[in-house]
Amino acid sequence: MTDVLIQIVASGLTLGAMYAVATVGLSLVYGSLNMLNMAHGAVLTLGGYVCYAAMTLAGLPAVLAFAVAAAVCAAAGLAIYFAAALPLLRSGNFETNIFIATIGIGSVIENLMLKTFGPYPIPQPLAVPGHLIVGGVHIPYQNLFILGVALALMAAVAVLLQRTRTGRAIRATSMNRDAAQLMGVRVGKVYAQVLALSGALAAVSGIMISSIATLTPVMGGDPMLKAFIVCVVAGLGNVYGAVVAAILLGLIEAGTQYVFGVRWSFAILLLIVIVVLIWRPYGLFGRQQVVRL
Amino acid sequence: MAEPILAIRGLRAGYPGNVVLKGLDLAVPEGRITAIVGPNGHGKSTLLRAISGLVRIEAGEIALRGKRIDGRRPDQIVEDGVIQLPQGDLLFPSMTVQENLLMGAYRKAAAADVDTRLGKVFDIFPKLKERRGQVAGTLSGGERRMCGIGRGLMAGGDVLMLDEPSLGLAPIVIDQIYEVIFDLRRRGQTILLVEENAQRIAEHADMIHLLDNGRFAWSGLGPDLLARPEILETYLGA
Repeated sequence: MTDVLIQIVASGLTLGAMYAVATVGLSLVYGSLNMLNMAHGAVLTLGGYVCYAAMTLAGLPAVLAFAVAAAVCAAAGLAIYFAAALPLLRSGNFETNIFIATIGIGSVIENLMLKTFGPYPIPQPLAVPGHLIVGGVHIPYQNLFILGVALALMAAVAVLLQRTRTGRAIRATSMNRDAAQLMGVRVGKVYAQVLALSGALAAVSGIMISSIATLTPVMGGDPMLKAFIVCVVAGLGNVYGAVVAAILLGLIEAGTQYVFGVRWSFAILLLIVIVVLIWRPYGLFGRQQVVRL
Repeated sequence: MAEPILAIRGLRAGYPGNVVLKGLDLAVPEGRITAIVGPNGHGKSTLLRAISGLVRIEAGEIALRGKRIDGRRPDQIVEDGVIQLPQGDLLFPSMTVQENLLMGAYRKAAAADVDTRLGKVFDIFPKLKERRGQVAGTLSGGERRMCGIGRGLMAGGDVLMLDEPSLGLAPIVIDQIYEVIFDLRRRGQTILLVEENAQRIAEHADMIHLLDNGRFAWSGLGPDLLARPEILETYLGA
């Protein structure tokens, strides 16, 4: 019984950590721009492929490939800001327009991956071999690596948001855009920073997810959906709530997979979301406010 | 009179399909209190928002020490030294009092000596020092206003614009807040103040401008307005 529990907790934490990294970017962007970035999943896929290409095609060491993937996806985030968000911010109805625009951008990125790398699954070369044995349960180092990277990243994001001038400006902008401007915050710069950061985080999460599954052009769809669910459960735009909700949902998913079988896990996840939203329509950690879409 | 620190000429501004300010001229003298009074919905806040660059300007110009600032971004105008304390404070609700104050010192000119500024604000509002770790969203109305004014002071601007600092406060708190504002004036701070209640500031304001339907209907020295009951009656119903 204990080994089952250890197994569930280990894979649940790994899942949750991956969801958390995928979600934080989505949540930051929503919180500061009121922008639902539907291209987030595609940027995540891009990160996975760039890491693969950098390691196998360009022969870079893993650490460098990791950094290249993060940089490329940060640039993709900036491109989304300048090409789509900035022009659409000037016109009315931003929230709906950017939603549709980013669906298009995501589709373009996915098809570029399909054209370049083909439709067949490719293994992610960035892998940590070996495993640890805890109470008779094999826990791959890969899972621990994912957990470690995710925790380090979450801590870094928290320090950035809480302790730095840039972070305070990001939080201020998300709480009240006008007031932030009256403090001298250049909101355009904040938006660009947030989208770049979100892109880099998406890259990391893409690398992690493809390292325990495989690379395919459509691999971003599932984590994007989960990230969105986590965002809604936590309260849209609430970054810290998103981390807690991601880990909770990861654990629940691992648990239901074991108890009811894999095919039930997503249905049960959605059921939980429905119950949460009936109980707290603004999310577990959300402030009471109406979100229009 | 010396060259005004802030000069506005022929300002037309407003929102799409709704011109609120219809050709305003205003001179804000340095080191004085200039008050804009008038009924609600006649453009007082729009004027401050236009100066801060938050409202699009259709025509006219705004100059700070002779240098045009209209058309500049809101953050640039803050860097130039024109600081607005918006109506209803607009605090950052999930930040602590101290973080709110630190946001006030976001502009580069203020970022260097944050600790000194923080100390000065805590001297003016000892209550804020007590509550420095408290989340701003949980403050009482009076404390929120103190935090809003403290945040504005952190910026150390050349021109301080206050939008209805007495709004929604109990009379005793209003007196405290105005005492702070008049004290700033005594120390040479240039203040541009928007107030609905003319009597409250007429005595202390150096210049008063009565804004009616996007234009100034009367301008003059503060005490002179009190001597004109017919104007108060017509425009302010007092």
